[in-house]
Amino acid sequence: MSDNRLTQTEQSLNLPSEKRVKIKINGIQVEVPSGENIIEAARRVGTEIPFFCYHARLSKGDAANCRMCLVEVSTTAPDGTVRKMPKPQAACTMPAAEGMVIETETPALVKDRKGVLELLLINHPLDCPVCDRGGECPLQNNTLFYGPPTSRYIEEKRHFPKAYPLSEFVVFDRERCIHCARCTRFTEDISGDAQLGFLKRGADMEVGTFAQTSFISKFSGNVIELCPVGALLSRTYRFKARPWDLLTQRSICSQCSNGCNIKLDYRVNQLQRVNARLNEAVNEEWTCDKGKFGHEYVSSPERLQTPMHKRDGEWVAVDWTEAYRILVGRLKTSGVSVAGIGGAKATNEDNFAFQKLFRQVLRSPNLDHRMGRYQGPTNSLMHNRFGYHTMGNAIADLENMQTLLVLGADLQDEQPMLFLRIRKAWRFKSATVVYANDHATSETTNVSDFAAANLIYKPGSEIALLHGLLNVLITENLLPENPALDLTALKRSLVEWTPERTEQETGIPASEITVAARLLQHSPTAIIVGKTVTEHASYPDIVAALGNLVTLTGNIGNLNVPGLEVNSQGAADMGVLPDVGPGYVPTAETGMSTHQILESAADRMLQTLWIVGADVVNDYCDPELARRAVENCPFVVVNDLFMTDTARLADLILPIASVAEKDGTYTNCERRVQRIYRAFDLAPDIKPDWLIFTEVAAQMGGEANYFSARDILRDIGEKVPHYAGITPKTLGESGVRWNYPATEPKPAAIVPVTYTAPVRETLSV
Amino acid sequence: MSPSNNLTERPREPKPAPDRERRFSAQSIAELEEIVTHYPERKAACLPALWIAQREYGGYLTTSAIQEVADYLGLSYAEVEGVATFYTMYNLRPRGRHHLEVCTCLTCAVLGAYDIVHKLEHELGVGIGQTTADGEFTLSEAECLNFCGAATVVQVGDRYFTHITSENVMGLIDELRRSENYTPAKLADAIVKILIPGSGESGGGSSDKEALQGAPGPML
Amino acid sequence: MGIVNLLFKNRLVPNIEEIEVYEAHGGYVGLRRAAGMERQAVIDEIKASGLRGRGGAGFPTWIKWNGLPKNYDAPHYVICNADEGEPGTYKDRELMLKMAHTLVEGVILAGYATHSKKGYIYIRGEYVEVAWQVRKAIDQAYKKGYLGKNILGVEGFDFDCYIHLGAGSYECGEESALMSSLMGERGNPRLKFPHAPLPTVQGIWKAPTLVNNVESFCAATAVMTIGGEEYAKLGTEKSKGTKIMSVSGHVARPANYEIELGTPLLELLREAGGVTGGQLKAVIPGGSSVQIVPADRLDKINLDYESCGANGTLLGSGGFMVFNDRTDIVLLMKRTSEFYAHESCGKCTPCREGTRWLYKILDRITSGNGQPGDVELLLDVCSQIDGRSYCGLGDAACWPIVGAIKSFRPEFEYWIKNKRSPIGENALPPTPERVNPLLTLTAA
Repeated sequence: MSDNRLTQTEQSLNLPSEKRVKIKINGIQVEVPSGENIIEAARRVGTEIPFFCYHARLSKGDAANCRMCLVEVSTTAPDGTVRKMPKPQAACTMPAAEGMVIETETPALVKDRKGVLELLLINHPLDCPVCDRGGECPLQNNTLFYGPPTSRYIEEKRHFPKAYPLSEFVVFDRERCIHCARCTRFTEDISGDAQLGFLKRGADMEVGTFAQTSFISKFSGNVIELCPVGALLSRTYRFKARPWDLLTQRSICSQCSNGCNIKLDYRVNQLQRVNARLNEAVNEEWTCDKGKFGHEYVSSPERLQTPMHKRDGEWVAVDWTEAYRILVGRLKTSGVSVAGIGGAKATNEDNFAFQKLFRQVLRSPNLDHRMGRYQGPTNSLMHNRFGYHTMGNAIADLENMQTLLVLGADLQDEQPMLFLRIRKAWRFKSATVVYANDHATSETTNVSDFAAANLIYKPGSEIALLHGLLNVLITENLLPENPALDLTALKRSLVEWTPERTEQETGIPASEITVAARLLQHSPTAIIVGKTVTEHASYPDIVAALGNLVTLTGNIGNLNVPGLEVNSQGAADMGVLPDVGPGYVPTAETGMSTHQILESAADRMLQTLWIVGADVVNDYCDPELARRAVENCPFVVVNDLFMTDTARLADLILPIASVAEKDGTYTNCERRVQRIYRAFDLAPDIKPDWLIFTEVAAQMGGEANYFSARDILRDIGEKVPHYAGITPKTLGESGVRWNYPATEPKPAAIVPVTYTAPVRETLSV
Repeated sequence: MSPSNNLTERPREPKPAPDRERRFSAQSIAELEEIVTHYPERKAACLPALWIAQREYGGYLTTSAIQEVADYLGLSYAEVEGVATFYTMYNLRPRGRHHLEVCTCLTCAVLGAYDIVHKLEHELGVGIGQTTADGEFTLSEAECLNFCGAATVVQVGDRYFTHITSENVMGLIDELRRSENYTPAKLADAIVKILIPGSGESGGGSSDKEALQGAPGPML
Repeated sequence: MGIVNLLFKNRLVPNIEEIEVYEAHGGYVGLRRAAGMERQAVIDEIKASGLRGRGGAGFPTWIKWNGLPKNYDAPHYVICNADEGEPGTYKDRELMLKMAHTLVEGVILAGYATHSKKGYIYIRGEYVEVAWQVRKAIDQAYKKGYLGKNILGVEGFDFDCYIHLGAGSYECGEESALMSSLMGERGNPRLKFPHAPLPTVQGIWKAPTLVNNVESFCAATAVMTIGGEEYAKLGTEKSKGTKIMSVSGHVARPANYEIELGTPLLELLREAGGVTGGQLKAVIPGGSSVQIVPADRLDKINLDYESCGANGTLLGSGGFMVFNDRTDIVLLMKRTSEFYAHESCGKCTPCREGTRWLYKILDRITSGNGQPGDVELLLDVCSQIDGRSYCGLGDAACWPIVGAIKSFRPEFEYWIKNKRSPIGENALPPTPERVNPLLTLTAA
């Protein structure tokens, strides 16, 4: 649908400008970027201008509607005469220009602000005592500082039903709405689902969804935080607490690999709500609904409270001494017939202790955190060719790309923040997006909404598609010159992949393939690869074909295969892999991959299986095998928060701390190491994973010199080259993105890839 | 006429998504595609498309009508509903066969428009915004119709009736009862036709000739 | 001074809406003349005429025409604002109904002068009969080669003209809201200079855009037909040419009168046959948005931009409404405020909340519940809207009320004190009896 929208490039409010201009604000001379709005410019001199509707990340087209930020503006003509504009001007959209003189505190403006607030409040119900927003409400705050003490309004106010359930997560109180258009702009500018809009007009105007249907969005929770009054509220948090009674702890969202910065608001050791925390490099100030409303589990009464041992088919609560006795006894008799699965949801510290226990104490190389289909060699897949394992780009880099190819990903589900970045690149920075997947989606927001080319290919024909794209780029001579590359073999292998041939194989019309290929000539182009591809049987071949594309278009650093779990990156960094140790250093002995572990357990070849925070019975790519493995293994120990289906089949369950109850670090998909903090107290019989591993190691006679997660981080900093210099101090508020040590650039190489039409898919293990 | 209205009633809970319906005829789609070519982007055809929908859906816009417009133009449903509810000429609930819009703005107001409204309310037995039981007339007040020189003006469908007074208004009503013209759907149809280049000779017809000749005496 | 039929020259010619008749009466002469000139010369001709925008604000037309980038190849547009909605005004209606060709010619002229390829005539949705005439005029112009490719044989003079019909919104007569509406959005105003580039730099679809009123385009045709210098001989020093005044209300011969700018107000009133139904009480000279002028000050006013401005009112769009002494100014203002409350788009706080509040106060006063201090409250609420709103609608909603209080304050105080009209039982406009006054005008 993108071709319908010429207006895609709404300019954001603050265009970075090279040019600086001198302006005067309340008599203070200041130099600001030309075109910067006056609210931001005034902040530079410590002057606060009140506002409601202004938001730096939302387009300015619908801003300037609350009229709270009115200031007096005078302009200086080239001849030096200063002329005051007859009307006060909205600061939020007023671009700074040379010689501008701004007054923000004149008596007239004081009266104007009183006037605006009086008008905003005439129809506002003033039910602050029962409003969740009370105490953190911009309308309250501005009224306190700038408002009139009383109202002269004696007519009847507008009335609407209270607490209309707009969606699963959001309630809407129309009476409180001040029509600032932040939520409607959010759904148009940021999330792109355009589910909220203004209906009717004048004083009857209201925010609504189409025909009073549900507000369906992956990002609906953000409008709660954006709303400057108590009109849009969280259903889960409603009437739960007063904001001033909440304690807040910084944290990282545990729902996916994007690593959104969040704040946990809790009270009496109960999580009450999750709000976004600003991190320009990761989530800016957004969360997805999974993250905002998906953390209730930490305060769930279903949480496991003590270790449990299965005796004669019955679960018996045991204390830790007993649990360790059983476990250690078991481990001692198992020898090296021990394997560990999991870690993608645990912290770096947990993972480091996990692999250390296995490699140094149990002397078993059999550990793996991977749950997906690809479980082949770690370094050869991408690192040996491109110099990185997962994402070549930082998340924030994506918005500066000219072209973005999203391949095989339901990005709004898999990588919500990458989705928002890509959408931002398109909407605010005129990037072109090409979308290719093997199925169409009906989500209210998805990449195909704004993609310039939508390629829906037959499942399994990725390589054919990539060949077809490359064929067009080569035949139309759209590739940059690169004399170092010998393309003869490649050209020969691609000659048959004309758009028409590609159409036969992929089902995409030849004309669309040509159009999409032409779009890819503009550099920089980043490629984001998703689950459809990574779960594909010929995933390594697709990566090889993608490698040819990025090499030939000069985007070798711009291939991105982000992980899926909160710490799948960190688990790999820490060496929870059968073939590499911490820092991707190949190990002397290659252990079994997850699949091999499960197969050997299913074949009753494995003595003891330790599953760390993974519900393999449900989440493994071959659940049936996982079930057989857990059932057939003589002893299975599970670290988990809940009695999962996997735990139910195990022999020993160890209750572990959640994200809100432990310290540590996660590494997100772009390799950003970020801290989590303990928010509230652990129940007495719950332990963080790392402590379990450390204590078991000690009881097994290994070294046990960790007394806190910080100790482990210090050890990681020493042992893992990529993590050198990473300490709690250097991580700070927004984390550190680690980089591969500078090495000789690898010679660009072309790897001809043969395409085989999809047959019945088999596991590529 | 059923009072049911899927756009303006106010439920306590969100409703399930309505069924999608397709009522645009092949000709309507052709008209819409012609209109789309007038603009550099499809979105601009939103108002014309809503007029087409208003015609195809019998003089008022249902949720399906809005969905159909949004789907053709690649817009979000909420956006199109926002447009449809902004403009007063899009009907969000069924209208009578004739929609009487009595201008009661300044000039008409001082020249007796309210007398006409009262007369009509009394004679038709309906209030403002209501439709007669036989589905014949819907009575509305209109803001300035901008033919103040011919006050009072009553718009019915695509036609302005001028110099209406409380004395002669019932004559108009009788005339309308007999007339097949000036219905909401015909208004929408006329507007759609006007948007299509080359349709000038096909339409207008007697209605605007009359308007030309019948303009008030002092004006000519 | 007085009546000068320039745009209305052929008003009485039978079948003037047919292109052959129009051509026989000097039609498309201006366009032919322009097509033989340099594009800049056309703008200079408009400049020489001193023509100012006839939509209400009176902005010099040539500056807009000149403001579009020269020799600009990317798309840019000419838009005719035919969303006539100002209460009391119906000049564009008659112009389009009878002089549709004059308008089309003016739009093509502007297209030539600004090198635009596309023009849109945005006509309000209610004007169906009018729009048919414009449709016919455009179709005939295409047939005669005044529209299309290489117009009049001038290489590269391509121009297409489209009609866009509104759907009922006064706000869409505001230039930027009109662009929103034309782009298929709600008729909300858009950011204006200096918050955003001028429309002539970045208007509709982010392309340079020229927006003029119907009468301005017709006047441009007249200018190009008779020559800028000739046109400039009409009118006063600063207000050149003629203006069509839509006379209505308590007047013997309500109609559109084309007057030379600078004509004394009372002369127009005489031309229209004088007041009917009683003594003259007040005149609103430029549409409902301008301040009402009581009878005793009318002799000071000449109908031009400067004289109206000097006398605390505006020439506006030329909606000349005459009220006799049966008119109750408070009731009139209540009806005016109802109009603005109904037409406010709702985008900005002062207008959305303020216009409805003003209406509620006036409604309360005129239902006999006025309170001491209400007049001051009205003035203060007006001061909170005027100049603070996003677009001019908020200002326009306040000026008539402030003006009425300035000139007729005793009537307001009489209402508040005595709970009834100072005029008596038969005051105009009558108060409608309504069950729920606030809901009647909402879109049903």
